[in-house]
Amino acid sequence: MTENPEQENQTTPQSEEEIRIGVYTCYCGGNISDVVSCERVAKQMRDMPNVVISRTDMAMCSDGGQALIENDIKEKGVNRVVVGACAPSLHEKTFRGTVTRAGLNPYLYYHVGLREQDSWVHHSDHYAATEKAVRLMSTGLAKARLLQDLDSILLNAEKHALVIGGGIAGLRSALDIARRGLRVTLIEKSPFLGGRTAQLESVFPVNTAARDTLHPIIEAVMAHPNIDIFTQAEMISAAGYVGDYQVQIQQQSRGVSDDMAEATMEACKQEVPDEFNYGLTTRKVIYHAYPGCYPASPAVDWENYDGEPLVVKGQPTVLYNELKTFDLTVGAIVVATGFNPYEPRQGEYGYGEIPEVVTLPQLIRHLALFGDGKKLEWNGHPVRDVALVHCVGSREIDGIHEPHEDGQVNDYCSRVCCTANLHMAAELREHYPEVNVFNLYEDIRTYGRGHETYYHESLEKMVRFLRFHGDDRPEVVAAPKGDTHPVLVKVRDHLTWGEELEVPVDLVVLAVGFMPRDVGDLVEKLKISRGTDRFLAEVHPKLRPVETAVPGVILAGTAQGPMNIQETVAAASAAAAKVAALLASGEVELEPFVAKIDLEKCDGTGACVEVCEYEDAIALETFTVDGRQVQRAVVTPANCSGCGNCVSACPNRAVDVQGWTLAQYEAMVDAITLDIPELMEVEA
Amino acid sequence: MATRIDPTLLYEIKEYGAVGIEKCFNCGNCTAICPLTSDEYPFPRNMIRRLQIGQRDKLVQHLDPWLCYYCGECSETCPKGAEPGETMMAMRRWLTAQYDWTGLSGKVYKGKGWIIAMLLVAAIVVIGLAALLAGPMVTSQVELNTFAPVHMIHIADLILAAALGIFLLSNLARMYFFVFGKEERQGIPLKIYLTGAWTLVFHTITQNRFSECEDSKRRWTNHLIIVAGYGTMFALIVVFLGWFQTDNIYPIYHPQRWLGYLAAGALIYGGVEAVLGRIRKEHEMHKHSHPSDWLFPILLVLLSASGLTIHFLRYAGLPMATYYAYVAHLVIMMMLYVTVGPMGKWAHLLFRPFAVYFQEVKAKAAQLQRETPAEAVASAAD
Ligand SMILES: Cc1cc2nc3c(=O)[nH]c(=O)nc-3n(C[C@H](O)[C@H](O)[C@H](O)COP(=O)(O)OP(=O)(O)OC[C@H]3O[C@@H](n4cnc5c(N)ncnc54)[C@H](O)[C@@H]3O)c2cc1C
Ligand code: SF4
Ligand code: SF4
Repeated sequence: MTENPEQENQTTPQSEEEIRIGVYTCYCGGNISDVVSCERVAKQMRDMPNVVISRTDMAMCSDGGQALIENDIKEKGVNRVVVGACAPSLHEKTFRGTVTRAGLNPYLYYHVGLREQDSWVHHSDHYAATEKAVRLMSTGLAKARLLQDLDSILLNAEKHALVIGGGIAGLRSALDIARRGLRVTLIEKSPFLGGRTAQLESVFPVNTAARDTLHPIIEAVMAHPNIDIFTQAEMISAAGYVGDYQVQIQQQSRGVSDDMAEATMEACKQEVPDEFNYGLTTRKVIYHAYPGCYPASPAVDWENYDGEPLVVKGQPTVLYNELKTFDLTVGAIVVATGFNPYEPRQGEYGYGEIPEVVTLPQLIRHLALFGDGKKLEWNGHPVRDVALVHCVGSREIDGIHEPHEDGQVNDYCSRVCCTANLHMAAELREHYPEVNVFNLYEDIRTYGRGHETYYHESLEKMVRFLRFHGDDRPEVVAAPKGDTHPVLVKVRDHLTWGEELEVPVDLVVLAVGFMPRDVGDLVEKLKISRGTDRFLAEVHPKLRPVETAVPGVILAGTAQGPMNIQETVAAASAAAAKVAALLASGEVELEPFVAKIDLEKCDGTGACVEVCEYEDAIALETFTVDGRQVQRAVVTPANCSGCGNCVSACPNRAVDVQGWTLAQYEAMVDAITLDIPELMEVEA
Repeated sequence: MATRIDPTLLYEIKEYGAVGIEKCFNCGNCTAICPLTSDEYPFPRNMIRRLQIGQRDKLVQHLDPWLCYYCGECSETCPKGAEPGETMMAMRRWLTAQYDWTGLSGKVYKGKGWIIAMLLVAAIVVIGLAALLAGPMVTSQVELNTFAPVHMIHIADLILAAALGIFLLSNLARMYFFVFGKEERQGIPLKIYLTGAWTLVFHTITQNRFSECEDSKRRWTNHLIIVAGYGTMFALIVVFLGWFQTDNIYPIYHPQRWLGYLAAGALIYGGVEAVLGRIRKEHEMHKHSHPSDWLFPILLVLLSASGLTIHFLRYAGLPMATYYAYVAHLVIMMMLYVTVGPMGKWAHLLFRPFAVYFQEVKAKAAQLQRETPAEAVASAAD
């Protein structure tokens, strides 16, 4: 795209040491050149010290654009390359590849972001934007002059992944990783596989039975030779880094052998609330999650077992939990620990105070256990009218809704509850046509393919919709004695011009949102972070949506935020793909931007060790210098994040982050603070 | 005070023919497009919403359904296919049933069984009375007035007309009491009722609001033809029966003949046109037909046709055929009376103009209230 013939500095390569820079200013198809005069920038660069060639192109990232660079390296002896183009996150890697192909070290390349940092944000002032481009490019040059060969860090990678959580996310991840030929260890905290999906019945979209979706994948996971499954197991410690994590797993014993299972269950009399049915029923402390669950053998609920001996076949038997701990080396860790349905506060919409107020998950279990498809009953009373309330424990407003224990409100949308609630509404009308269903909502967010059908179906089945405002949620009260119904729901309905309406009902169902499970210990052990919504956080919401900031620790499913099964499984497969890409070659390549100690200058103050936030990244070790024992800092590159804390702490300037040295920074700062006339002077 | 929701009304209004109302998601497009809606009477969504949540008390006060002339633009516009126009139609039936204190109206509207039963009762009563009271059947020549003496028939007509009046007026009174709350009634001086009366006359005769619906000239004309034919026939039968039912043979230019032909012709034309419309289903209003929608025009056509048949049989000198045709004619009239008469669709003839009238009275009363100085209102309140 260059119209002017390039003027080359008539210098030929002389010695190895000579710095010869090629500078390329990209039009970005107009994204940059519509605002910045690229030709002017290129011309300005041509006259800067060490610049051998300065070109422009419509798209430097195109094959043609890259070929320009390659040719210049080969033919003009260019040995440092600066491209001014889009953001480095987009094409820095591309151009590192380009220079590598032409025989240069990839880190002799520097990328200036002229689009995001300049043309896109200054499109009203062409002159100033061009000036700024010149300035940014000069800093690039300043750094380029000091670039040196660097080698990326290669680590051995264990071709083995740990998957934490045996819900549908963990199962899908484990299977996908195993099918790519890696080993997988799957640990599940509870005695049974399947997670929350097992607690559902008919699931949207297309109304399949949840277990029909779940069981085949469990069976495939159990049958796969590359996967080891440990139930009642947790990770109790973790150390190491991507490719080489040392983890410790602790597993409880199942408690009863298969041949004794029937008799022991028979003998057990101790009953506790059954969390699988959200406390609607009780179960024994030796139990199955549900008929047909996996694994099939019963397990002892150690947390609740009172330790009393059971009389099994006439023999008094005490059950012992023999904890088994073992070590494992894995290359990557998938965190698929799932979610909890929000548990409403005592009295929130009457929950816990009015017996006719239940949560949606509870109603799903109630119908699964007791729904006969003919008559709907609750607490032995026939149900004639039901109110379903949306957004319970979701989309709360700071300052209006009562904060939770941690002082925060749940301001996020739980995404799944709308469609789940409408699915329930339509299902109730379908199976119990005598029952009137009222749907109290703030917004209907049926965003996914096939979700909106449930809304239309509900309408057609004569579900009544009532709309409240988020800051004025409905109120649930016990009806006065003698009323026709036990509960009244009061709502200011904005479909009825904000009139106060009172809905007399026999049952109130709260569509509760998603809460993260309590995984504080995992967060600490793996040093991953949580978002403001308390769910586990990805490192980049768009470009790296399943990776955490810790290399090799990947997220899968609802541990990361509210998702339906489809999204959970998609995320789980993405996580598996990431793990496979990391580990498949048996090596992990890390960028070389880590701390490097100049042992000549280091005198072992240890200031760096104090400020470092990463475990085992930097430590003092004993060296023998001139026969004396001295302390010197040593970096473990795999654990170093390159944050530079140590650089700022070292009184001796003995430490630098490779590729981002203090000297480079200083040169860049000098360049950027030059007056433009000074910059222009060069031209004169 | 919070209004209590009553879920039963939605099921009920569907029995009155509100097809599709459940699909409505309250977007308001129907109200936005309606040419007859106003700020005070924002139909049809208002009606639909109140039906969905079952606000019977509020709905029974509404005039809105009578102010709608079913141009059908709402139904054409509705993105959900909720047929709001048909809901307005159903609301007119429902309101008629609410005004009707006998309860028959609702029964006939809601159940086909009831329609058939009422038709049978009408036939049995008329045939029974004929068998009991009819005079001798002279076969040598046609002597209708010997078989059915005109003074007796006239008395029967008058009795029916009086009953009609009583039913209509009492239902109208109920409408009035529903529409105007107690306090509202007390606040309206007689003068307002009187000055509004012109509206009543004007709308009774012209059905003028119709023409505010776009694209409705043809329906309006058709409707006017039916109303004119009906009015003429009503006068001939109830007031001038002695002159109309005769054994004399008149020449063709005699008013007894051409008035009769014109009125019967108008009714047949209007009735056939209405039935054809429902068969063709071109206009929104004709896309969904409740049993009562068929009954009215069909019976009208049959009534006129049987009347003409009597007439021509008499002129052809066929005595027995004339007498049987006469009984059949009476049976059809009775059927019309009991199914779509004062308790049924026919009554809209009265409710529509009165609704426009009440609307005007309300507007004038409201204006008066606005113009009354605040102190006067305050002292009146004391
Ligand atoms: C009321 C309701 C209705 C729903 N209906 C539908 C629907 O119709 N359609 C649909 O697509 N989706 C639906 N969903 C969403 C669906 O339940 C989730 O998308 C899905 O269950 C998420 O799976 P998961 O594997 O991410 O999490 P989970 O199912 O929660 O699995 C996580 C697993 O990890 C284990 N675990 C947790 N912590 C640890 C630890 N520290 N160590 C080891 N193991 C651990 C847990 O025991 C559990 O087995 C519904 C959700 C709710 C609440
Ligand atoms: S999905 Fe619907 S019910 Fe759930 S929080 Fe979001 S808006 Fe509320
Ligand atoms: S009837 Fe149709 S147009 Fe009118 S509010 Fe309902 S959905 Fe909207």
